[in-house]
Amino acid sequence: MIGMHSSRRPSELRRGRERGAALPLLLHVVLLLLVLGQIVYLASRYRVRIDMTTDKLWTTTASTSKLVGNLKERLIVEAYFSPKENLPLSMSSSRDWADNFLDEITQLGKGRVIVQRFDPNSDAAIAKTASRLGIQPLNLRSQSATSLSVDQHWQGLRLLYGGGKQKVIEAFLPRSSFQAEAMVTPKIKEVITGSKRRIGYMEWPARVPRGRQQKLVGWNMVRTQRDLKSRYEFQNYKDTDGALLPADLETLFLFRPMLLTDRQKYVVDQFVMSGGTLVIFADAAEYQIDAERSFKKVPFALDAKESAYPFVQQLSHYGVDWQPRLVADMHDLAYKAQFSGPQEYFARAMRVAADSANWIPVAYPYFLHAVNYDWAMSADQLAVDPTGKIDELKAAQYRKSLRPGMPADDFLFQGFKKAANRGPGFYWPTWVGLRERAGGVPDMPDGVEGRVLLWTSPLALVESPPAGLNPVGFNEGAMEAEHQRFMDQLRDRVLAEPRLQAPLMVEVQGEFQSFFVGKAVPKRPSQILEESRRAKDEAKPGDEPVEPSSDANGPQPAKLSDSVASNAEDPMRPASASPGRIIVVGDATFLRDDVIGGDYKGIGGPVSGGAAMPFFGQMLDWLSDDRDLVDLQSRVPADRTLALVDTTAKPNEDPRDAEQAMRSKTTSLVALNVIMPCLVLLTFGLIVWNIRRNQKRAFLTSLDTAEETR
Amino acid sequence: MSNVITSVCGRETRVIFRRELKSYFLSPIAYVFGGLFLTVLLFLSAKTSLVHGAPATMQPFFLYLPWLFLIFLPGLTMRLWAEERKLGTIELLLTFPVRTSQVVLGKFGAVVTYLGFILLLTLGLPLTLGAYGSIDWPPVLGQYVASLMFAGSFVAVGMFWSSMTKDQIVALLASIVSLSVLFLLGNPSVIEFFGSNLPLWCADLLNGISPYKYFLSIARGVFDTRDFIYFVCFCGFFLYANVLVLKARRESKG
Repeated sequence: MIGMHSSRRPSELRRGRERGAALPLLLHVVLLLLVLGQIVYLASRYRVRIDMTTDKLWTTTASTSKLVGNLKERLIVEAYFSPKENLPLSMSSSRDWADNFLDEITQLGKGRVIVQRFDPNSDAAIAKTASRLGIQPLNLRSQSATSLSVDQHWQGLRLLYGGGKQKVIEAFLPRSSFQAEAMVTPKIKEVITGSKRRIGYMEWPARVPRGRQQKLVGWNMVRTQRDLKSRYEFQNYKDTDGALLPADLETLFLFRPMLLTDRQKYVVDQFVMSGGTLVIFADAAEYQIDAERSFKKVPFALDAKESAYPFVQQLSHYGVDWQPRLVADMHDLAYKAQFSGPQEYFARAMRVAADSANWIPVAYPYFLHAVNYDWAMSADQLAVDPTGKIDELKAAQYRKSLRPGMPADDFLFQGFKKAANRGPGFYWPTWVGLRERAGGVPDMPDGVEGRVLLWTSPLALVESPPAGLNPVGFNEGAMEAEHQRFMDQLRDRVLAEPRLQAPLMVEVQGEFQSFFVGKAVPKRPSQILEESRRAKDEAKPGDEPVEPSSDANGPQPAKLSDSVASNAEDPMRPASASPGRIIVVGDATFLRDDVIGGDYKGIGGPVSGGAAMPFFGQMLDWLSDDRDLVDLQSRVPADRTLALVDTTAKPNEDPRDAEQAMRSKTTSLVALNVIMPCLVLLTFGLIVWNIRRNQKRAFLTSLDTAEETR
Repeated sequence: MSNVITSVCGRETRVIFRRELKSYFLSPIAYVFGGLFLTVLLFLSAKTSLVHGAPATMQPFFLYLPWLFLIFLPGLTMRLWAEERKLGTIELLLTFPVRTSQVVLGKFGAVVTYLGFILLLTLGLPLTLGAYGSIDWPPVLGQYVASLMFAGSFVAVGMFWSSMTKDQIVALLASIVSLSVLFLLGNPSVIEFFGSNLPLWCADLLNGISPYKYFLSIARGVFDTRDFIYFVCFCGFFLYANVLVLKARRESKG
């Protein structure tokens, strides 16, 4: 063996040693790689992300993070994007937002979100697919000094989840990351859940005379808006037998509740106790709007005859002060017709020929809007006494007590702020505010918070519903005078009464106590019937049971599950299981089919000016979407636009000069930015070179000196 | 552990670091490389960023930067060991009473510092954007730090290849190829291709090893501990591999 070893050459020995060392080395590297890989993996699982942008552009809402971070299956995002080159500036920044947001959700998705990009401009088949999905290109005109061309720009998304379900965003053109999130997250939610959000409702239609017959008018049009139908599913829960509502129902609308039985009130109470959101469109009275426009009060009662517990009392128990009284607003901003924005058009006829008449819009303070104005600012004006002097004490009091008419920055009202600076128009609205003690001190139940969303101006009149409210009468010749008299009367009353702002819409939320605690649970009609049948059976054996009559005219109730509809219902919830929410709007008429549909257009109104439908749609988003997603819609990043030159138009200035100035400024800035750093580097180099040269010279001189000395 | 850190980052490391840094600034390479790099980078990004009506953002700059690093950095790192080997100075260097890791770290620190100096010279662009618009400074500062970390990861790879061969061209080509692969794996469109053709975990793994993926996230203005840890681990791995290669060479010589 020794001989063999000694016979090997040194190079062979070294190679053998190297080979022997290579294996542990390789193992070492592999082990290290595994350890580092594990560290990075753990770091990606337990990470801390800090959004360094001032506007928090990349801080997604809790809803998005939760949704995307907990995907069970792969979410494929097909981005039908044409190339970014040649895009105009506005579109190009929109693309940046889109790209960055898609990248952000890819990161959030931890591998479960895959973005696939397709360019419809590169392939006719892709363009065809995109079109079939509903994604349509934008035709963008690009113009230069010598040419004009139209380019097709595609920017749409298809979300595919779990193999089958899909959602399409036809035009994904966000102006910020917030908007991108607000557009994409609800769609992801839809594609994941695969079902629309269910909204329950109960309605009590109005009976409108049609010749000798009566027509039932409900709230069908707002519920069947095309845009809403794709996102929400409305289900009627007005069950004649008063079954409790399913536990998974989150939102319930009551359209003009009337003749409420105790059982119905109990159902509503238990719904709120289950943490549901109850929205009531309430009317204090009903006035006849028909071909005659008599505006005569129609018999209307909120509670059924046999009801022991008034609904007003029940709402008061939750903190809502609903006073079944009518509200009029004598401020012209509140009732004046505005053709550019939401309006509640009401007109009188002015005959211009024997067979034709013009319609003159007339003021009708019972048709009013809440105005986006801080009424405290008009305190001085309101505090002027008959001698023309400002009553300072009164003015100070007004400044303290008067509130803005509409929270215009609230998501629900943003559209109204943009349109005409006033909220949706109400017809004969009713007072709905927060429960107060004497002296106007809020008196909310424990654990409940509330806010008034809409207020009238301080020139409000509040009264019990009068029998008739026709402002113009029926005599065409005397209509103007009649209207004048009507307005004068109202004006006199306002002057005689103290200034008052009436609340028109209220929101309360928190942990409520059941109204029925300590009260007997109201029985269901079928139970009552059963009991009476039993009683009859005991009295007269052999009699047939009587079936309850169904309301053939009213909307058909939802089919409830056996467990819900069975007699063995859940025991009463004495308090909120989770925080509930109640919103009461002081008008239901403005959403009615006949008013929205323009049934009275031909007779001078009332006609809703198109505000009601958007209000309802907006309200659904406001109620149903996650709060943080809704808030996103109003978030706008700071304006960081570059202004290289002053572009404000100067008189007599040739636009070509401005363009030339912009071009030369850009060129000089680019040149400065490129040349300056290179010059700095060069200068630094020269300094170093000079120092080195001096050092070298000094060294050589020292050598020479040393040599000379030697 | 603290002894290791102290010895690795100790006086010897600082001496090597100073020597290397000095050699950069005393040779024309710093100025040729820096001048070229700055001209190309600033021309491209200033042309894109300085547009009237566009948002005042450094995003174009930080999108061009990785591409230019890919082209320029291998040129800078190829000579780090290969030249020492070619001139035979490596033997001398490795016989000094210093640890191999100290030598590697000193060299690495010098290149990164030099790159930091070059990046510092680009600050004129955000200043111009700030003068004509409202630039968001915190993400810009974060982006500069991210760029330096990204550059560090490329330098570590380049140094590793330089230590493997004495031919600078081979080191350059090997660096370009490996960095291109790493870079492309982080590119969204490439990973989307893998995502649709490979199992999810495989596409994830490939994407997860690319420094570009982590750079993109920071370049947007989001600081993520994961990205930071990744860059530290990435640089650490290649520097360690570098140390192993040099140690093996030292032992084989011995």
